[in-house]
Amino acid sequence: MWALVTLRVAIGWHFFYEGLAKWYQPGWSAQGYLEDSQGFLAGIFHWLANQAGLIGFLDAFNITALLVIGLFLMLGFNARYATLGGIGLLVIYYLSHPAIPGVIYAAPTEGNYFFIDKNVIEFLALTVLWLFPTSNLIGVDRLLNSRRSVENKSLKPA
Amino acid sequence: MSKNSESNHTSFSRRDILKGLATVPVIGIMGAGAISYQSEVQARSKANKIPDFGTLGSSDVTNKLTEFVAPGNKLRIGIIGNGSRGLQLLRALGFADPDWVEKNTPNGKANANLKNFLQQEDLNVEITAICDTFRIYAEIGADAVQHGAKAGARQIKETSGPKLYHNYRDLLADDLVDAVVIATPDHWHARMAIDAALAGKHVYLEKPMTLTIEEAFALREAIFQTGVTFQLGHQNRQQVSYRKAEEVVAEGLLGDVSMIETYTNRNNDHGAWIRGIHPEANRDNIDWEGFLGSAPATEFDLDRYFNWQKWFEYGGGPAGNQFTHEYDCINQVMHLGIPNTVVATGGNYHFKDPRNIPDVFNAVFNYANHGLTLTYDCTLKSKTRRDKLIMGTDASMVLSINLNVFPDNGSEKYKKFNLDPEEPVFSYNPKQDETDATTSATAKYYQERGFGYTYRNGKKVDCTYLHMLEWINCIRTKKLPSCNVQQGFEESVTYIMSNISYREQRVVKWNQEKEMIV
Repeated sequence: MWALVTLRVAIGWHFFYEGLAKWYQPGWSAQGYLEDSQGFLAGIFHWLANQAGLIGFLDAFNITALLVIGLFLMLGFNARYATLGGIGLLVIYYLSHPAIPGVIYAAPTEGNYFFIDKNVIEFLALTVLWLFPTSNLIGVDRLLNSRRSVENKSLKPA
Repeated sequence: MSKNSESNHTSFSRRDILKGLATVPVIGIMGAGAISYQSEVQARSKANKIPDFGTLGSSDVTNKLTEFVAPGNKLRIGIIGNGSRGLQLLRALGFADPDWVEKNTPNGKANANLKNFLQQEDLNVEITAICDTFRIYAEIGADAVQHGAKAGARQIKETSGPKLYHNYRDLLADDLVDAVVIATPDHWHARMAIDAALAGKHVYLEKPMTLTIEEAFALREAIFQTGVTFQLGHQNRQQVSYRKAEEVVAEGLLGDVSMIETYTNRNNDHGAWIRGIHPEANRDNIDWEGFLGSAPATEFDLDRYFNWQKWFEYGGGPAGNQFTHEYDCINQVMHLGIPNTVVATGGNYHFKDPRNIPDVFNAVFNYANHGLTLTYDCTLKSKTRRDKLIMGTDASMVLSINLNVFPDNGSEKYKKFNLDPEEPVFSYNPKQDETDATTSATAKYYQERGFGYTYRNGKKVDCTYLHMLEWINCIRTKKLPSCNVQQGFEESVTYIMSNISYREQRVVKWNQEKEMIV
């Protein structure tokens, strides 16, 4: 159990800091990343990158999602939704930059990947957390759910 | 009810609270880390005064177009010189010749080049006249206007094709021409541009502006006197990296600049101005005397006609052809003007075909007034990539289509931040698509150095199109273009000083006050 909780907090930590770093970095935008997309959905990502009106919204959405998901995972607050959101983001990142052999991206990677990259590992880790939720035991959800269960009990006819 | 709510509050055991909030301290650690990270980022950007590069390289040049695209405000343009550069300029104006369209439609599908062309906005211009001393070139131009692809989803069909001339003076006398685009051999530039200005036509002139210093004075005078709108064809003025670089210098990020290096490295025949001879060219369809003009009379020679850049009689050599590009970028970024002294050396060692220009060329331009030296090295026998390098006390800037600013190890200003000199404090690196169909080595060379495409609002745009657009907007609003005749004057005097030094083997000095070689 402690290992799963630590995993949840660690992934939350990573998401939160990614969001924070992008937020603080002057002029950060996902535009370059999107333009660098490869794989079978590259067309969609390229199109997104060229929507001048949309890109600011996408940047804000991405940063907010990273911060909120990260915070929730660390706190164990609505951790089910946060887990699902995190899985969603990672799937989008992977589809934009799939680790296909022979494909070279603008930003160099520090490792070597063959289909399985860090996004996939983090995605799988979140899947484990989805199947074995921990926030009801350690996390704010424990407090909320115990309250809810009390409320539910009290509403039941005697 | 009240009993129930009481029981809610009392339902948390000490164990629940401990376990429920067990991970909250993690947030505190993250918070502390975040605050220190933020203050570090702020200190860094404040110290380096890094401007908001997201807004630099403004796109107002493109955005202003639509207000001029009213019917009845069509600008009527005459083309003088429709060789390979002429066809590129025609595309910038919105007219692509059928051959080029076919070449860029592999397997019946438009490639990136053609797509980019078709996305260009309609400049609301008409090509009313084309002049070339080679009849076939003029006819290709007419074909482009009448039967080629049009940019910007232009629907209106040209009712009649442009008039064809083989003498530019007849074109200038044509009332149906408001403005001319000149892309002839260099020895004709000044004469034609002056005559055009005197005929009241606005002028877009290919670089280098002139072949002699006397011509540079005469052309500047003609433009000042007539007040026509003049743009010199240095399309780097539209390149985002150079515009950003200008702001980096203006912000003082580099400190005192003491040295600037510029280069040309090529290693193929096309890059050494062996451009081939048109198979159908002959004495009958070429106006040889019209080509020679004021150049020394020689026998009809197809090599001289098509590969004229190989001779100083018609072109400016490596300095006129290539250094002018590098120089204008530096002048755009640093506003250096004309150097105080120039020395140059080199020789023609490798190309044994008929030519009298050097294939190895080095020039040193000394600016005592700015406390710096600008150097130019050119070889036509090595493709090693060397970008422009501007060296300052606090940082150095490596400049091409990309821009990277590296902090200096010895900088007093940046010392306290312990910056890594290998790690740029600012970068602008647009993604360069390898599948761009920048087909030839020369085209790729131009692209890398920032003379091909640039980016506006995330879209790839031809620099030459933007440069032409600026000229046309300036004609319509009576404003001064970015590469105006004074910029051209500085470009020409500077490169010609290096050619004089090379050919006369002496130090060439310029008197800034009297504006003359001493």
